[in-house]
Amino acid sequence: MSSGRVYEVFARKNHDEELKHVGSVNATDDDLAKAYAWTLYDEERWVEMCVVPRSAIVSITNEGPLPVWGN
Amino acid sequence: MTPKPLDPAEQALIARINDGLMIETVADMTPGYKKALLTQLTVQGDTELMSAPAYYLAARDAPTINSRIAVTAIVHDELGHANIAYRIMEDLGADKRQLVYGRQPHEFKHPYGFDQPLENWAEMVVANGFFDRAGITLLSDVHQNTSYGPLKRALVKVDREEVLHLRHGESWMKRLAKAGGEARDALQRTVDWMFPMTLEWFGLPDDLKRHSGQLAYRLKGLTNDQLRQTWMAATVPLCEGIGVEVPAHFDEATDAYVIDFPFPCQYDPNAKRWLFDEPLTWDQVFDRWKARGPMNERYVEMIQGTFGSVVAN
Ligand SMILES: [Fe+2]
Ligand SMILES: [Fe+2]
Repeated sequence: MSSGRVYEVFARKNHDEELKHVGSVNATDDDLAKAYAWTLYDEERWVEMCVVPRSAIVSITNEGPLPVWGN
Repeated sequence: MTPKPLDPAEQALIARINDGLMIETVADMTPGYKKALLTQLTVQGDTELMSAPAYYLAARDAPTINSRIAVTAIVHDELGHANIAYRIMEDLGADKRQLVYGRQPHEFKHPYGFDQPLENWAEMVVANGFFDRAGITLLSDVHQNTSYGPLKRALVKVDREEVLHLRHGESWMKRLAKAGGEARDALQRTVDWMFPMTLEWFGLPDDLKRHSGQLAYRLKGLTNDQLRQTWMAATVPLCEGIGVEVPAHFDEATDAYVIDFPFPCQYDPNAKRWLFDEPLTWDQVFDRWKARGPMNERYVEMIQGTFGSVVAN
């Protein structure tokens, strides 16, 4: 049983709004990450939500340790 | 007690935080900062987590299917809040699975209030009105003042949902008071034990409080007594407004709320009764907390299920 990797969660409320970072989840694969993000960050009726593996994020402002986008 | 002198690195960080520095990564932290933050997040996460089984069992007493759904939604929120706190802790090197499944019941750091059984609908809704109000009081202070960026952002969602829990509690408290009879009596009986329970939740009074790392590192902004006052300023008028008696009142002369019983004092968890004739020292209160309350093991068992032993072994 492993917590898998960290996925950052992004969502937007309305079509004319920017996609914003709303949190993060642990998951062992993309499908579980989608399910966890959808059920955990249910505070809005999002028109769009996506997850990105934290390891895929290329940091520009913060060299070295990964930025804690955490939530 | 005088605070013990901090080493220069800690002092330098505290000075920068006082100048408005926000911490974003572990690399920015001193060991003292990280330790204080982990302690704060453990209490926060554990409190959210243990509210879930308490509320879940009480959902059975919901008078209608809609109110049962409302409590179930609150349980869902609370598990999410716990997950958020532990998720942040993982970024600081903690192991979420160990935190949830690898600890013994007495090792969780939630308040004594969530070791108590909620045995009827009045107890469920006063818990929402009082305990969730305590949660909002503590967390909105953290949200406004914390020097840790990820926590500040995470609390936006948490605070919003806590307000809904609180509204659920307060609106039902008003309904029960208005209904009169049995319902009103149950409400008053519940307030009688939960009001002092929540006052205790805020911990040591300021004049006994040792040096607080959480304040020095600006992980919170208000002292225990200030937070207790904030809670009473919301709760006492609510209760007075619906004709429910509480052992505290507003004192015009000092412009503060005053507790009308020997605080702290002994509690009989089986009778759910405060023994106002048995005052305690805070050390004795800590002993009572450490011994945990009647539902501690059951609640932790409900959370851990069969995974508890799997991870522990
Ligand atoms: Fe919560
Ligand atoms: Fe809550």
